[in-house]
Amino acid sequence: MSERASETAFRRMKDLPSTHLLGAGTATCAGCGGLQAIHEIYDVLGEKTIFVNAAGCMTLLSIYPFTPFRGSWLYTAMACAPAGAQGVRDALDILKDKGRIPAEEDLRVVVLTGDGAAYGMGLSSTSAAIDRDLDFLYICYDNEGYGNTGQQSSAGTPHAARTSTHRGALGYPGFKKDLFSIWAANRPAYVATVTGAEPVDLARKVEKAAAMRGPRLLIALSPCPTGWSYEPKDSVEIGRLAVETGVWPLKEYVDGRVVHTRRPRKRVPVEEYLRLQGRFAHLFEPERNDALLDEIQARVDAYWEAAD
Amino acid sequence: MKTASRILGSAFFREGFEVQDAPRYGAERRGAPIFAYVRAAREPIHERGVITRPDLVVVADDSLVSVAAAGVLVGASARTVMLICSNDDAAVWRERLGLDGPVFTLACEPAPDDEVRFLGAASAGAASRFTGVIGRESLEHAIREELQDLRPEAVERNVGEGLTAFDEMEAHAGCLSEGTIRSAEAYEDPNWVELPFEGVEISAPDIHGAATSVQVRTGLWRTMRPVIDYDRCNRCSWICTTFCPDSAIHADADRTPRIDYDNCKGCLVCVAVCPPHAIAAVPEQVAVAADSEEAST
Repeated sequence: MSERASETAFRRMKDLPSTHLLGAGTATCAGCGGLQAIHEIYDVLGEKTIFVNAAGCMTLLSIYPFTPFRGSWLYTAMACAPAGAQGVRDALDILKDKGRIPAEEDLRVVVLTGDGAAYGMGLSSTSAAIDRDLDFLYICYDNEGYGNTGQQSSAGTPHAARTSTHRGALGYPGFKKDLFSIWAANRPAYVATVTGAEPVDLARKVEKAAAMRGPRLLIALSPCPTGWSYEPKDSVEIGRLAVETGVWPLKEYVDGRVVHTRRPRKRVPVEEYLRLQGRFAHLFEPERNDALLDEIQARVDAYWEAAD
Repeated sequence: MKTASRILGSAFFREGFEVQDAPRYGAERRGAPIFAYVRAAREPIHERGVITRPDLVVVADDSLVSVAAAGVLVGASARTVMLICSNDDAAVWRERLGLDGPVFTLACEPAPDDEVRFLGAASAGAASRFTGVIGRESLEHAIREELQDLRPEAVERNVGEGLTAFDEMEAHAGCLSEGTIRSAEAYEDPNWVELPFEGVEISAPDIHGAATSVQVRTGLWRTMRPVIDYDRCNRCSWICTTFCPDSAIHADADRTPRIDYDNCKGCLVCVAVCPPHAIAAVPEQVAVAADSEEAST
């Protein structure tokens, strides 16, 4: 681990890129944690990147004739961004083979989707792309629900969160799908979790993924003021608390092993994270739901016990 | 506003009217203009869709007046009643917008003990009074019915706000007149632009410029403005420029951060993460007033 760290260009905040590639003026919500992660990722990936974007919040990025990107962006339906990436990758390879573009004009193919597509609707085409060993990077901005349409529950929604489809006293009855492990079980080149509130950890992982070939995934926990119901200024605080409470483990799968890149020494109680978000307000008001709070804490504790 | 339209619609319904109410959304995000339409009549309503000739326009936020996409004056005529939630008074708005018709305002100032005024319920209350046909009881019932999911304190606050606005507008009861029914036969096509079918190389939207989005002035969304105190700023610009979700903070060569106010949406993430607390949040209206004062001296 320490050897790897020495290879990185990103050791502290100061090392992060000082010029930012992603243009301002997109129509995402103020304080969007997804856009924060995407602009941090784009700074490391660089301009020679083509984004294949499934329908979702980031539909809002490129609205003709405006784009925040410095290169190409292709828009697909929710379930088929990896299939779109296959077509783009193949086209680039053919152009290179025929000598119609020089090798230095090759582009990095990046799939960009939300959790609705990554955890649910698009999982089938993703699985097939992994089977074909497609050389692509998949970025999932995970705001734990179908944010663009009003935060309906998705397979990425955490247990007990209130969404527009689960408005009862217990919130969403299901459990957040373990997309990291689903990917890792297929032995892809790389899988990692990141969040925009931890930009150095994020930059290292993007740097590492960018240097590899084959199917690679970055899942970015994306605090969402609109869907999670909190003040936009708290996006970084909530992202940090997701890590410090252990709710969002920062980890990577590489060379057949899962490594935690951050182990919170003394985990902050999960309650501190939940309390800031309106989507968990029903756990505290009108009465405190100790049983449910304890259950959520116990699941986080069990995760880290198994990890340690 | 969606809730306000539902309250108004339900109140009409209780008074025996046929009612339609429907919201229209653009993007599902904070700061995006949304519209909600209410139609009410004693007879069955055959009209559908967007209201193009409103009898009453309620503007929930006066900053929408300058947002072209909101189109608050579209279709308004001399008999259209305008209700604007604003701290500027009605005479100012009448002059500013060159309106001949009746204009009223609802002050946004909250009661002394409250943080914000609940303008949705207040607008519905004022609008109900303007109709002259909705009673106080129907209004109260409609508010309770539409907000039954909220906590009891919140429901009571909304009822209070709605009834206060209803009472405030007593002098203007019935100022709203009923529009005429439009028949389908009188329907005129909008000014469609005919586009011939073109090959994909022409018709597919293709953007060749880089980062053209900076031309979209998302700075208009801002209600609070982050202002850097350069005497306190540490020049650790990698923090604010990295965390700004919108890439709206750039650093000069000497690492002095500069906020791009054309695009800053006012999320205030920079205020929250700045280590020396060198960024203050100033209400946009106060900042604009200070700017224009500075420009005039």
